[in-house]
Amino acid sequence: MGPQHPMTHGLWTLKVKVDGETVVDTIPDLGYIHRGVEKICEARDFTKITTYCDRLCYASANTWAHSYIYSAEDLLEVEVPARAEHIRVIAIEIQRIASHLMWLGAFCPDIGNLTAFVWCLREREMMMDLLQELGGSRLHYNFPRIGGVKRDLPIGFAMRARNKLNLFLNRVQETEQMLDESTVFLVRTQGVGYAKPEEMVNHGVTGPNVRAGGVNYDVRWAHPYSVYDELDWEVSVERPSIKGADSYDRYRVRVDEMRQSARMCLDALDKMPGGAETHYTEGDPMILTKARERAEEGKTGFHHFEDSRGESMFYLAGGGDQRGKHPYRISIRSPMFLTIPYAAKCMIGHKVADIPAIMGSFDPCIGETDR
Amino acid sequence: MEDWVVFRTWVGDLTQMIADNTVGKTSLSDYSDGLAIVMTETIMAVTVFATIMGTILALLWIERKFFARIMDRRGATMALRSLWVGEGGEHADWYDDLPFGVGKPIRWLNKLLNEKAGNASEYETVHRTKDRGYHGVWWMLPGMIQNVADGMKFMTKEWMVPAKADKFIFEVAPFIIITSTVMIFAFIPLSSNIYSANPELSLLFMMAIFGIAPFGVFFAGWSSNNKFTLLGGIRSAAQLTAYEIPLLVTVLSLAVLSGSLNIIEIAEFQITSGVWNIFLLPLGAALFMITMVAEVERIPFDMPEAEAELVEGWWTEYGGMRWGLMFASEYLRCYAACLLFAIFFLGGWEMPFGDTITGIIPNQDLILGAIGVGLIGLALGLRSEYPVLLAPIPLVFISMIPPTVWLLFKAWFMFAIFVWIRASLHRVRSDQILEFGWRWLLPLSLVNLAIAFWLRLSIWQGGTWPLLIPGLITAIALILVIILGMDEDKSAMEGRIRPYSVYTESKGPASPRSHDR
Repeated sequence: MGPQHPMTHGLWTLKVKVDGETVVDTIPDLGYIHRGVEKICEARDFTKITTYCDRLCYASANTWAHSYIYSAEDLLEVEVPARAEHIRVIAIEIQRIASHLMWLGAFCPDIGNLTAFVWCLREREMMMDLLQELGGSRLHYNFPRIGGVKRDLPIGFAMRARNKLNLFLNRVQETEQMLDESTVFLVRTQGVGYAKPEEMVNHGVTGPNVRAGGVNYDVRWAHPYSVYDELDWEVSVERPSIKGADSYDRYRVRVDEMRQSARMCLDALDKMPGGAETHYTEGDPMILTKARERAEEGKTGFHHFEDSRGESMFYLAGGGDQRGKHPYRISIRSPMFLTIPYAAKCMIGHKVADIPAIMGSFDPCIGETDR
Repeated sequence: MEDWVVFRTWVGDLTQMIADNTVGKTSLSDYSDGLAIVMTETIMAVTVFATIMGTILALLWIERKFFARIMDRRGATMALRSLWVGEGGEHADWYDDLPFGVGKPIRWLNKLLNEKAGNASEYETVHRTKDRGYHGVWWMLPGMIQNVADGMKFMTKEWMVPAKADKFIFEVAPFIIITSTVMIFAFIPLSSNIYSANPELSLLFMMAIFGIAPFGVFFAGWSSNNKFTLLGGIRSAAQLTAYEIPLLVTVLSLAVLSGSLNIIEIAEFQITSGVWNIFLLPLGAALFMITMVAEVERIPFDMPEAEAELVEGWWTEYGGMRWGLMFASEYLRCYAACLLFAIFFLGGWEMPFGDTITGIIPNQDLILGAIGVGLIGLALGLRSEYPVLLAPIPLVFISMIPPTVWLLFKAWFMFAIFVWIRASLHRVRSDQILEFGWRWLLPLSLVNLAIAFWLRLSIWQGGTWPLLIPGLITAIALILVIILGMDEDKSAMEGRIRPYSVYTESKGPASPRSHDR
């Protein structure tokens, strides 16, 4: 199956050995869209790398940009103002909602329902509008800056965001009703693609996939960065069956996570230092700290970051004066690169019809996988 | 009510006249009757075919628009809501275009609903996704002609055969599918006298024809020499065993109830006995609907063409107009299924409750007069500038609507339900439909057959049905539907469906930085 196949959600090949309709063996074959982002970034300024990180995952651009930014701030030793951190949390969490909606919208056609796809994209549209207000573009925002954010919340953004998030919280219930109360959905997702928590941990699977297996590990909760420890939210962890997490658990944990993200955004708007309705001009010290442009030689920056799909990490090495404003080396840890091989293993023993139901539930994103 | 469109008699008289005045005047006058019959049958066949082909546009239109509405808004409830809230969040005003002020009560209702359940508060955030209005020309049925454009596109496309395909079978398979589909309509009556063929055992013949197309699908899947098409074809054949037997047993119950294997007689039985079959055999109606959805391979049961895993399954290698015709034949089969449901369960071409009402109150003119007077009063009160005498005209039109139109409306209504099912359900797996078919559909269809026997042997005394029995059965069915449709307790639901749900022990509530310690 692949490289062009609806199941792949991207560009990769899954070699499937079948016995009738039963899957006997699977071999994932990745690397079709390797762009060499890590190498490209070695020849870019620290500030210019953000745009490349945006393009690591088209469905979740903002989280990847922020993932880089936190590492870069660790390298360049910048103190970020509290207001900027709140704005970042809002941007990240809205992006997370949009990404999970994109996932749900892609997952439901995999098992035959187009309506959920359109509903999810419609709700994602609201999130895109909000992000567009922040970043200026619709898919790749280039929003964060080393030391803060590009621009403050627009006037009226808080009101619109509250309206839309509350509306979203209403609407996600309707999508849930359509899916959870449909026996066809339940029989297609429950008992399909069991993923054992200990195996997932051993394979390095992180994020919603491993939380669906009952592992209470969320970077935002366990090692809070930014202002996550000041906000009102909970980790969404499923309690799966003894066989492990099935597709239904992975669906539940993401829907729950969208709720938590919305809750977090609403709370961050309330707790915004300086007030959510005020608007500071670009470069104001409330939202942007002036950062150094060059990193010392031998110094490294590193940060755990909870991406929409798992724990993403950037490793940056400063190059001193020889490298100018460029990093000496940049290395990206992609959560899906570790998850896809494990997801392919989960399919063995199931039917061919279950391949999309399993692969889709792991939320593959090939842009970040191949980098 | 009497069917005033005796089309077959008109055509028969006309052709008889033509034959008598041409061949009848020559030395071949012995053959004039035969010629008239041939001409009549040809004209009837062409009429039925043209009616079906012309009205299938409405089917495709429903598929596009109703589906789009369900997806666009918040499901069917929101689609209904948009009737009064209107496109783009503003108030709808289509009722102002209705003649004779009929729309006035709708306007009042609309105002009330807007006050009570309008979406003014959400306007700002939802209007963006709702601004696909018809720009005031809803009566032009926008999108209706789109299918013609699609057909033109298919015609201009190239017809390719894969290099390693079994070329003969690959070419033959579409013909098997299309011809068997068109043949179904030979036996579907559009009213008691508009049909192209009416053999004594038309029911059996048609069910046999209905089952041929899956073999064409299997041939197509096999001959394409492609792994996905092969799986699709095999799935189609496997699926056949799951639904075909319950379908036939359900249809058999209809034959038992009506005492006939003729489609027209089954429909006429509902009209003469005064009760539609859906009120007598609600279980049978549900079974027939489910099995028909499986038969026409629509979404809960469309594994042969599962686009997610088998990239359109057995269709994959077909293109051009052959693909277009096969796609059209899919919709024709859908249409046949809807028409059959209407004929078997919804009283066929009868006006809804037309004969039941007149059966209770023999004086039909009295009702018509009463409704007419009511309408006159309504018109007087609402639009006094209109001539009062025009008010009963819509009523006269309603009673003059040809039976065929009622049948088509019923079929379209059924198709809307098909679309609704498609919009709200997911695709099941092959093994699941087999299990569902053998464990649920087959026993239930036998129960349905037993009910039909009981009704026919113990209750039926000739004449009309005693209204108590269908009322009771319908009430029980409605209560069952409501009980089954109620929201279940979520924990109970999880416990029932997930037998392995042994929860791992919770390690107490986590707290921030719990992993750091």
